[in-house]
Amino acid sequence: MHVMEGFLPATWCIVWWLVALPSLALGLYQLKRVMAVDREALALLGVTGAFIFILSSLKLPSVTGSCSHPTGTGLSAISFGPWITSLVAAIVLLFQALFLAHGGLSTLGANLVSMGIAGPLVGYGIYRALRETQVSIFFTVFLASALADLVTYVVTSLELALAYPAEVGGFAGSFTVFLGIFALTQVPLALVEGVILALVFKYIVQLKPEILVQLKIFPEEKIVAAARGLADAA
Amino acid sequence: MFEELLEEIAQENALRGTNTYLKLTVGLGALLLSLLSAGFVAPLFIAFTMTVALLYLARIDARTLGEAFAAPVSFAILSVAAIVLVSGGSGAVWIWQPFSWLSLSVTPTSVDYGIYVLCRTLGGMASLLFIALTTPMTDLFVVMRQCRVPPVLIELVMVVYRTIFTLLDQLVRCYHAQVMRLGYSTRRESIRSFATLCGAVFIASWNTGEDQIRAREMRCYDGRLVVLGETRPVEARPALAAAGFLLAALALTVLSGGVTLLGGAP
Repeated sequence: MHVMEGFLPATWCIVWWLVALPSLALGLYQLKRVMAVDREALALLGVTGAFIFILSSLKLPSVTGSCSHPTGTGLSAISFGPWITSLVAAIVLLFQALFLAHGGLSTLGANLVSMGIAGPLVGYGIYRALRETQVSIFFTVFLASALADLVTYVVTSLELALAYPAEVGGFAGSFTVFLGIFALTQVPLALVEGVILALVFKYIVQLKPEILVQLKIFPEEKIVAAARGLADAA
Repeated sequence: MFEELLEEIAQENALRGTNTYLKLTVGLGALLLSLLSAGFVAPLFIAFTMTVALLYLARIDARTLGEAFAAPVSFAILSVAAIVLVSGGSGAVWIWQPFSWLSLSVTPTSVDYGIYVLCRTLGGMASLLFIALTTPMTDLFVVMRQCRVPPVLIELVMVVYRTIFTLLDQLVRCYHAQVMRLGYSTRRESIRSFATLCGAVFIASWNTGEDQIRAREMRCYDGRLVVLGETRPVEARPALAAAGFLLAALALTVLSGGVTLLGGAP
């Protein structure tokens, strides 16, 4: 869910750009460090960005009848960490604005905070909390992706409520209204995205589990057990 | 299933040969004026002029432009409806108080405010589409380099850009194969096929990354991709037209700041 161009007042565009800038600077600093050690990282980061873009340009089969797109940032945060995801997300958001007219340039800061920072941070936090537990890797991915998606909508509602507070009830009243409107349409979509990304992981575990081992996303024994379980079920 | 990429249209638009900085000045200038305007007239003027410029100067297909506008505008209408309900004001024509701390109402002031936000969004979207549909990313790479954006960031942007089209090609072929095998015949089947499609793209993107590493090393990649870009001269007529448009938009922004449609407080 992108805040489109021109929707936020100029002041709030500046505020969200300022909020997003430190994480961008951190992402750029990390990128320079990674590149100094390993030039090959550029290609993998590049394809990560392209993958998120492609994922977000697909129209998700929706249970509500409306049309939406997966954010893909939850999957990226699990695979590559939240800070690199935030830098890659900034590039993806720029491409989404210029290639698909999703979001905008003035609202890129606000969209980056919701989709590139808050969502991936929550997704990554859930993944880190469940990574070493007995919880299935597919359920971990489902939970991380769905909640990363939900948090994105919550933060977007917060951004809109701060920009447009209600006359009665102020920020809280406006936040309730925006959350109510978007929760109705976006909660089912977040659940569908969670299911789809869990199935994506299932597909990768079945066909190319070495990617997950190489990225150190889950302990090797957990991936092997999951792959064995899928083979037995088949 | 797939959205049309505006980039492909931008590569063939009729303003392709116009100076990139001139197009960016018009697009970003209009965007800024739309944002700074305190009334609905200037953003509406910008939205109208930009749409006309895209249709008649850049020769963009009306249907394509309509589709590009459709998704953000539908989201804008939904959000503007919420703004109208919470903004309040005097002389309410409809009011409902579901909780003691929340009151929803429709007033001339709130409707005027909603119209203003909607017009500002239309102005902003039209300005963004002007940039997106007339200036391909390949031209922006040259601008980025000339504006001294960190080289490592430009490299990353270029790799993402290049890989998008490689992956998209694989994705489309994969999707068509799924459709031919009735992969999207039921909702359950659609979700399963969609997940398989995403998984296939993830694996393909990984393989592409590895191929790119090998290909670059074989071509003596030294950490810098070469961009061949030409700087086209600024022609007098387009420059005058751009200046005229921006001055008119600026004048409207200044003069029509307090104008409202229903007479509500601006």
